[in-house]
Amino acid sequence: MPDWGRTTLELMVQELQHPVRLDESFDRRVMVRVRRVHAERRHRGIIGWLGAAASISRRPAWAAALAAGVVAVVSITILHPPQTKAAVHPGQAIPVQFVLVAPEARSVAVVGDFNNWGLNDTALVAENHNGVWSVSASVHTGVHRYAFLVNGKEWVADPTAPRAADDDFGQPSSALVVEASTQ
Amino acid sequence: MSMRTARSLLAVLLVGSAFRSTEAQDPRLSNRLDAPTRKALSAIVDSARAQGIPVEPLMEKVYQGLAMGADGTRIVVAVRSLTFEMGNAHRVLGAVATTDELKAAASAVHAGVPAVELGKMKKQSGLRRSLTLPFTVLADIVSRGVPVAAATNAIKSLVGAGAKDKDISDFQRNVSVDIEKGAQPAAAAETRAKGAVVPNPKEDREHE
Repeated sequence: MPDWGRTTLELMVQELQHPVRLDESFDRRVMVRVRRVHAERRHRGIIGWLGAAASISRRPAWAAALAAGVVAVVSITILHPPQTKAAVHPGQAIPVQFVLVAPEARSVAVVGDFNNWGLNDTALVAENHNGVWSVSASVHTGVHRYAFLVNGKEWVADPTAPRAADDDFGQPSSALVVEASTQ
Repeated sequence: MSMRTARSLLAVLLVGSAFRSTEAQDPRLSNRLDAPTRKALSAIVDSARAQGIPVEPLMEKVYQGLAMGADGTRIVVAVRSLTFEMGNAHRVLGAVATTDELKAAASAVHAGVPAVELGKMKKQSGLRRSLTLPFTVLADIVSRGVPVAAATNAIKSLVGAGAKDKDISDFQRNVSVDIEKGAQPAAAAETRAKGAVVPNPKEDREHE
């Protein structure tokens, strides 16, 4: 059996031995919601509670439907808390903004793996906003190498991004990781 | 002839030349590279493919070299080097590794991290955890002067402690700022790794 085959088998066995774990923040998020619902109910007070009870007795069908709706909304909210980031699926492209501060530059373009290092028509030409050059582009999930091309001749790495260690051509470049996520 | 060699040769015959098929679609390759360079690259790419190494990163390296004005010899050396590094990564990470993980791992290997250390991290983290970002950050901090052992230990401890990609991204940013401000690289990495996964009390209070 090849070495990598053994490694794969070991990894699979190790993975199957791991207990299934929910996101660490799941319990906390659920409890925060539950406490909030509980606190709102307490604030409503006994009179409000009696009023709600009275309406049930007057219009049982309406009240039951309303109650079911409230329960459903609360349940859905607890099980699917508001998401700060949309899920990104493998192979999906998401907008990425590239920014370089270069007040003296006359032109700035972004080239990298995501546009096959095309210098002409496929280069991402940045716009100048008083020396802050920026361009947005849809980039597929994955790890990409890229660099800024200033004035059509000078290669500049993105100072805010990880460096690509493999600068084989004597010019700096940066690494961009666009990960698929289920968050 | 061993079984593996026979299988590799068969694979090459079946899939044809990945480089030549790309060459037919992109005039940059035939316009900018001379015949010996194209022949050498074609052989490297086909050999990589036969070994199960993804060829897309190799083609990206060719394009990068062309864009940066490298000559044919330099491009061949770079692509051969990348093939070797991805091969090492492929052996230790196994078939479960994605192309992105292999690409990031090759970058770390290029920076001087022993491939076996990357394999240990993969085993430690399990199948579901993608190590693309941790490997990318590992390559980055080594290139910023953090000694290989200190950088590897820092990333290993973060991954082992269940740090998420965002934590590791923040760690990279902090280490690079510390180094730019004059911190000793090893000290910056060790110190920031200790603080990276400590729960933030302020954040917890906000959730409450």
